[in-house]
Amino acid sequence: MSAFLTYLLNGLAVGCAIALIASGLVVIHRVTGVVNFAQGTFAVVAGLCASSLLGLGLPHGASELAAVLAAAVAGLLTGLAAVGRPGTTPLSSLIVTLGVGVLAYAVEIVLWGDQPRSAPGLAGSVTVAGARIQTQHLLVIAVTAVAFAALALFFGRTYLGKALTACASNPYAARVVGIDVRRMGLLAFALGGLLGGLAGVLVTPMRPISFDSDVTLIVNGFAAAVFGALTRPVITLAGALLLGVAETMAAGYGYGSHQLEIALGLMLVVMIVQAGRRPAISQEPT
Amino acid sequence: MMLGRVAVPLAAAVTLALPAVLDDSALAVYVLLGLAAMVTVGVSLLMGYAGQVSLGQGAFYGVGAYTAALLALNGLPPLLGLLAAPVAAAAFALVVGLPLLRLRGHHLAFATLAMQLILLSLAGQLDFTGGDIGLQAIPPFSAWSFEAGGVTAYAYLTWAGLALVMLVTRNVIASRPGRALRALATSETAAASSGIPVGRYKLAVLALSAAFAGLAGGIYCFYTGYVAPGSFPVLISIQYIVMAVVGGLGTIWGAVVGAAAITLLVQGLDRLANLPGMPSYAPGVLSYAVYALVLIAVVLFLPNGLVPAIRRLLSRERPAKTR
Amino acid sequence: MTPAPVVEVTDLVVAYGAATALDRVTLSVAEGEMVALLGPNGAGKSTLANALAGLLRPASGTVTVRGRLALIPEGRQLFPDLSVADNLALGGWRSGVRDPSAVYDVLPRLAELADRRAGVLSGGEQQMVAFGRALMSRPDVLVVDELSLGLAPNVTAGLARHLAELNRARGLAVLLIEQNARLAFELCRRAYVLESGRLVTEGESAALAGDPRVAGAYLGGAIT
Repeated sequence: MSAFLTYLLNGLAVGCAIALIASGLVVIHRVTGVVNFAQGTFAVVAGLCASSLLGLGLPHGASELAAVLAAAVAGLLTGLAAVGRPGTTPLSSLIVTLGVGVLAYAVEIVLWGDQPRSAPGLAGSVTVAGARIQTQHLLVIAVTAVAFAALALFFGRTYLGKALTACASNPYAARVVGIDVRRMGLLAFALGGLLGGLAGVLVTPMRPISFDSDVTLIVNGFAAAVFGALTRPVITLAGALLLGVAETMAAGYGYGSHQLEIALGLMLVVMIVQAGRRPAISQEPT
Repeated sequence: MMLGRVAVPLAAAVTLALPAVLDDSALAVYVLLGLAAMVTVGVSLLMGYAGQVSLGQGAFYGVGAYTAALLALNGLPPLLGLLAAPVAAAAFALVVGLPLLRLRGHHLAFATLAMQLILLSLAGQLDFTGGDIGLQAIPPFSAWSFEAGGVTAYAYLTWAGLALVMLVTRNVIASRPGRALRALATSETAAASSGIPVGRYKLAVLALSAAFAGLAGGIYCFYTGYVAPGSFPVLISIQYIVMAVVGGLGTIWGAVVGAAAITLLVQGLDRLANLPGMPSYAPGVLSYAVYALVLIAVVLFLPNGLVPAIRRLLSRERPAKTR
Repeated sequence: MTPAPVVEVTDLVVAYGAATALDRVTLSVAEGEMVALLGPNGAGKSTLANALAGLLRPASGTVTVRGRLALIPEGRQLFPDLSVADNLALGGWRSGVRDPSAVYDVLPRLAELADRRAGVLSGGEQQMVAFGRALMSRPDVLVVDELSLGLAPNVTAGLARHLAELNRARGLAVLLIEQNARLAFELCRRAYVLESGRLVTEGESAALAGDPRVAGAYLGGAIT
């Protein structure tokens, strides 16, 4: 029973990290209509930055903050390439973000090499109802809760957040009232970078990260985001937690080598069921 | 049209003559280029005609390679293995395509990527595929009394395979369903409302593109003598998209030109990166950077690709000459 | 002396690819004036509205606006997921006005709807929100694209009254783009007629209403 609880809590921590990646995808997709393939890259950039800065002797907190900001800048640059040019279709933008992800490989290998890197996190563990859980996992869960609350406040209560929602809700009307939709798209990309970066600095102490970790991260994030049809943050969070727990349980009970297949299989099933429910997703491929 | 009547036989003759004069390392590039072009023709057909992005074309390539390798290793004639490779890849595409093609746009892109990741993971774990080590000691290709001894033989085999792929594609495009497919790429809804069986056509194009990839995979496994999950990374699928986009989607020659341009560029940079004094990571870094920058630049600034852009240039100049 | 124009359009050409949507259109709206623009579907009326709002780049010609222009676009174009209050607040993006109470004074009904989601309102209520949202930018000139479209006559009449009142009390200039010529002639002293991207006629409303060609096309027979 306590093993089950341990797996559950660990799984929630893993799910929280996925949720942060996925929320970045959702923010960007809502405002720009683009699925950002480079979302996992932001996490990798932040994780590698944090490990370097900590290695240089910078204190905790400052290192992670700088790393997350670096990821936000990466997000902004990705946005410039993907939606900066007027008339780029969402599918072209997807291919551009794919290109950005590959370009990041080159930059990351030059800066950090091609071996996985780790970073120290919160040491120690606590015992909850007979289950041992690492402090770092608790930190991940806490930070994710705060991040989602902050996102809800930002989009629900602030003028800027409402302007971003307005761009998602009716881009033409946003232009009518004078909102620069392109600039809002860039802001969404920066915010996506921030969220991805947050995931990166939290994950790196749990499992080492290397330049090509982005594929697993983005696929998991996308899988969670499709639960919420790429637009609904709360269902995305639920999807991410489900994925995290399912994967951790699978690993815990001896199916560790099939973790990825479980996530991917779930994603495929959800997508196909959703497509069956709405046969005409209003997306023309041109 | 005039240009085509001269240029196509000329290109065919030159490429057919090349293997006789190239050295072994150049021949290796020739084979890789030809195999990449075979897969890219299919990707270009899928993206340009059916309007679908597949991030999992490497999976079909892998299915073809593993099929041919397994049959050959179990004592069946290599020719049979090579023929089975495209059939198995197409059959696999039909099976996964039925559910997957209900998805569109980025959903389909991610679903095909997921398909490839699942397949790679399975190939790395199952016994009959040899796990992470893969399948070794695949016999060389042979048919009747002929046995492929050196690289030159594989160069000719690749040439023949590519010629077949291009011929089939040309006929498909020129056929009535092919012209209906054009409509599919621009607007699926419009195509559906004008009575085109959209679903069946998309599935057929996916299967055809998979068959091309499978055939290339079949040749590849005999050429290298081994296959492993590491031979078919996700990046290889992205590479085919880069080639198709660079050349120009939905054009046969675009796919070939794109494959040639990218292969030669990467090979050239590879030579540069392997010069003494270059850091050990240089080859990987340079090829990633090239794929990425070329892809981004072409999508943003040359969305129709190289071949249509060149064609437009030529047709703009021609009236000036006759004046 | 005629008052200075707040909107001046000179030889405006707008093209979508090879198709010309507006062909050398010249018109003006004077300070505090209400002007109507009539025309059938597809004449280029909404294209003109978008060009005036700066949402389209003209192929040639000039659009000069003195002061601030607000557009009530065709089909309302609200933010359906946001509340009425938020829709209004975003209308103040350009002016920096965040507090909608001044708009509530003009359109008290909106205060009652403030917390409702814009997407669930009736057509008339939505048009009122669009009206209020445009006012939030403190405009000097208001371009109204199809005020009456899809609305019951009494609802249209109510909105028209508000429009006339704002014009009288605050000197708000209005360009009223309409298919309903009766309404347009009633509200505006002057009118233009746009057909297939070209201005075909212009003049005093009374004179146009008496023009048999205009009356036949837009009033369903001679006006009595």
